[in-house]
Amino acid sequence: MSRNDTAAVVLTYRDVRKQFGDFVALAGVSMEVHKTEVVCLIGPSGSGKSTLLRCTNGLEIIDGGEILLDGCALPRDPRSMRAVRQRMGMVFQNFELFPHKTALANVASGPLTVMRLPRREAQDRAAALLEKVGLADKAASYPANLSGGQQQRVAIARALAMQPEVMLFDEPTSALDPETIGEVLSVMKALAEEGMTMLVVTHEMTFARRVADHVVVFERGAIIEQGPPKQIFDAPLVGRTREFLSHLGWAG
Amino acid sequence: MRFDWSVVWANAGALAGGTELTVLLAAVTMALAIPGGILLALMRLSGSRLLAGTSAGFTELFRNLPLILVIYAAYYILPITVGVAFSPFATGLIALCLNVSAYNGETFRAGIASIRRGQSEAALALGMSRWQAMREVVLPQAVQRVLPVLASTWVSLFKDTSLVSVIAVGELAYTAMRIRSQTFRVLELLTAMAAIYWALGYPQAKLVDWMNRRFGVSE
Repeated sequence: MSRNDTAAVVLTYRDVRKQFGDFVALAGVSMEVHKTEVVCLIGPSGSGKSTLLRCTNGLEIIDGGEILLDGCALPRDPRSMRAVRQRMGMVFQNFELFPHKTALANVASGPLTVMRLPRREAQDRAAALLEKVGLADKAASYPANLSGGQQQRVAIARALAMQPEVMLFDEPTSALDPETIGEVLSVMKALAEEGMTMLVVTHEMTFARRVADHVVVFERGAIIEQGPPKQIFDAPLVGRTREFLSHLGWAG
Repeated sequence: MRFDWSVVWANAGALAGGTELTVLLAAVTMALAIPGGILLALMRLSGSRLLAGTSAGFTELFRNLPLILVIYAAYYILPITVGVAFSPFATGLIALCLNVSAYNGETFRAGIASIRRGQSEAALALGMSRWQAMREVVLPQAVQRVLPVLASTWVSLFKDTSLVSVIAVGELAYTAMRIRSQTFRVLELLTAMAAIYWALGYPQAKLVDWMNRRFGVSE
C-alpha cells in the first residue's frame, strides 16, 4: 500500500511539544494523517509515540504547537474536548475494559451514556459490533472471563460503537500472549480494509509493513524518518532507523 | 449466686422493642452515611480547594472525637444552635451519621483512589464527562472494592448504637439497662443483651462476607 496524498487530511500535527517536568516527551512533531489511511508510529520505548496519541484525544494537554482535527485546532475547554473525543476511538495497551460490565455493556456504554441512545438501540449496535470482532457468543461474559485477545477485541468494538472518524491504537498487542496477538491484528487489518482512518503505535513490524500506508519513526520525542513502509523497512534513509529495526531483529 | 432468667422472659417484649429500634437506628444511619461518605469523598477529590478543605475538616473533626462526646454535644448543643428540639432518636441518628459519614468518606476515598487511572481515561476517551466517568465506571468498582470495609463499619456501628442510650434513646442497651435498674438482675440482663447483639451481629458479618465473595471485582 502507499500513501494517497490527495485524500483529505484528518489529523495535522504542527510542531507539537510536550514536557513532563524536565523530560521532553515531544520535541516539535509535525505530521499528517489522511482519510482512510493507516499510519503506524514505531520507535524505541519512551520515544514519544504514545504521548502523541494521548495528546491527540486530549488525555494529555500539549505545551506547544497545535493539533488539528479536520482543520480545527483541538479545543482547550473540557466540554468541547469531550465532543472532539467522541469523534476518535481509543484502544489502550491494557484494554481498560470496565470489569463490572459484561462485554455487551462495555460496548454499549458509550452509546448509552454519551450519545444517550435508547437502551435497545445501544444494545443492538453493541451486539452487531461484537459480531464484527468475532465475539457474538461472549456478549454476556465479564472481562475477567475473557482472554487478553478477546478483551482487546471487545475494547476495539467499544471504541467503534461511538462511530469515530479515526481510531487511535496505543500498543494494542503489547500486553497480549503471543498466541492471541494474531486475532487482534486481523480485526485491525479488516478495519483498515474497510477504510477506517487509523493511527497505530506498535512494535508489530510485520503488521506495520503489511497494513500501514505510512510509517513514522520516532526517537527521543522527534520524528527521525517517515515514509511508505517499503522505504522504512527495505531502504531506510536514516541510519538510526536501520539500527532500531535491527535491534528488533528485523531482517526485511 | 443465683440466677433468675425469668426476668428476661418477662421483659421479652420490651427487649424486642429495643432490638427493633437498634436495628432501625443502625440501618437508617448507614443508609444516610453511605451517600454522605460518597459525597465527602467526591468533595475531597473534586479539585476545588473549598470543597476539599470542607470535606477534610469535617472528616478529621468527627473521626477524631469520641462518639459519646458527639452524642452529648448533639443532645445539648443542637437544640440551642438550630432552635429545634429533636427527639432523642433523631439526635442520636444525627450524631451517628456525622461519625459514620466521616469514616465512610475515607473508605470511599481510598476505594476511588484504588481504581487505576486507565479506567477513567477509557471512560473519558469514549467522550464521557468526568462526572459520568465517576458514576458509570469508577464508583461502581470502588463501592464493590470497599464492601468489606463498609461491612466492618456496619458491624461496629451496630454495636456503637448502644452509646445513644446515654441520651435515653430506647434502643436495646437503654432498654436492658432500664430493666436492670428496675429488677437489679444485672448479670441476667447483661447476658441477654450480649446474646442479642451477638446473635444479630454475627450473621450480618457473615452475610456481608458472602456478598463480598459473590459480587467482588476480579480483573
